[in-house]
Amino acid sequence: MFTTPRLVAIALCAALNFAIGNIVYLVKLPVFLDSVGTILCVLLIAPDVMAAIACAFIAGFIGVILTGLVLNPFLPWFMLTVLAIVLVSALLTARFIGTFRMRPMPVARLAGAVVLCGIVTGIVAAIVSAPVVVYLFGGVTGSGSAFVVAFFLKTGEQLLNSALLAGFTTEPIDKTLQVLLAGLLYRATPQDFIAMLRPASARPAA
Amino acid sequence: MTPNGAVIFGLVVVAASVAAASPLGFAVVAALVLAFAIAGGGRKAATALLWSAGIVAPLALFMGLVWVVIVGRAPAEIAAGVEGSRIAAAAYVAVICARLFIIAFVVQAAFQHFAGATPLRFVRGLTVPLTVKKLLVLTLSLIETLLQAVDRARTALIVSGTITRQFSLRNLRHGWILIQTVWLTVITIAIGRTRDKWPTEGTLTLLDNALSAPAGRRFAAADLIWITLAVAALASALGLR
Repeated sequence: MFTTPRLVAIALCAALNFAIGNIVYLVKLPVFLDSVGTILCVLLIAPDVMAAIACAFIAGFIGVILTGLVLNPFLPWFMLTVLAIVLVSALLTARFIGTFRMRPMPVARLAGAVVLCGIVTGIVAAIVSAPVVVYLFGGVTGSGSAFVVAFFLKTGEQLLNSALLAGFTTEPIDKTLQVLLAGLLYRATPQDFIAMLRPASARPAA
Repeated sequence: MTPNGAVIFGLVVVAASVAAASPLGFAVVAALVLAFAIAGGGRKAATALLWSAGIVAPLALFMGLVWVVIVGRAPAEIAAGVEGSRIAAAAYVAVICARLFIIAFVVQAAFQHFAGATPLRFVRGLTVPLTVKKLLVLTLSLIETLLQAVDRARTALIVSGTITRQFSLRNLRHGWILIQTVWLTVITIAIGRTRDKWPTEGTLTLLDNALSAPAGRRFAAADLIWITLAVAALASALGLR
């Protein structure tokens, strides 16, 4: 399962998770994009689903630990969210790898796939993240969703429900953007590299 | 202190901060982490303290705004259906912030103990499978490659007028070009290294030998002392709830 090219892919995707935060900071974009490498790792190693899940989770885990040590010490608490994103990506998003690499780009089909996968990933991530957001951050993570939480709390909703509802409004948007970026990066990846990640039996004949 | 000791100490302290609920409980855990930071870095403990405060302060302000100013009562009061008070909300915010501060502080304090060690030496000292060590080293190496690629690509795209240094609509439109450029650069480097450079130079074999060489004892005497104190702090935090 862990061939040298796959170890390189895991390390690359973990490094991408870490470094992409730097990129969005440098171009001053108001988004997070902390799981693009994780989703991309699944796409690169699919259709071997088990290997894709294992490799992508390890990539997400390492990325989260390193980011937690250097930039954001609270990120490792969202490890279960990483696992949830990996599972959704392996079981749903990976079904569209053919669409992502189609030439010319089927814009409508790609957009539909990205929106579907992004919304499902976002909803699942919101559900899994809510208990961590509630217990560790008291429902407030320092992003704009805090005011959405405040709104629901003011209406008398319990804290967990408020965090969940706030997550449902923000996570699908964020994850749709991340699925889009991961899909476009997968599309841009040279076939040479993707072939190295597949087992010899699954590679197309020369 | 050994890497293994630092990891276990950190995990136990995080558990203690999660378990703590009273001011005295937080004070015990914080005092332990402060002693740990001073033991590892001397005066640099102040840097760790300020960095941690800097991470938590914006969150604290945000939480204060939401809970004290907007909502005006604590979660327990909402759950009980009572009118509640801003004082209870402020106390709730203080508990959350104390917890977050200790988590951030213990990570920085642990860094102080390994300020003189290279990442390779730190990873070598961990008691984890060789594949995990190799992955950590490869990831750190590729992070460096990625950040250099980001720097070069960003400079080139700014010079060409494709993106700007500050936030702009142009960055929203063309930020993707920077990401794609960086990714293609790094993929090309990764293919070259995996297929040609590393097999020719025997790099991965050398790395395996370096990572599997004995790195000293798994735990030092100091580790056991600090871990024992952390367990005592955890017990205190639980007892003082």
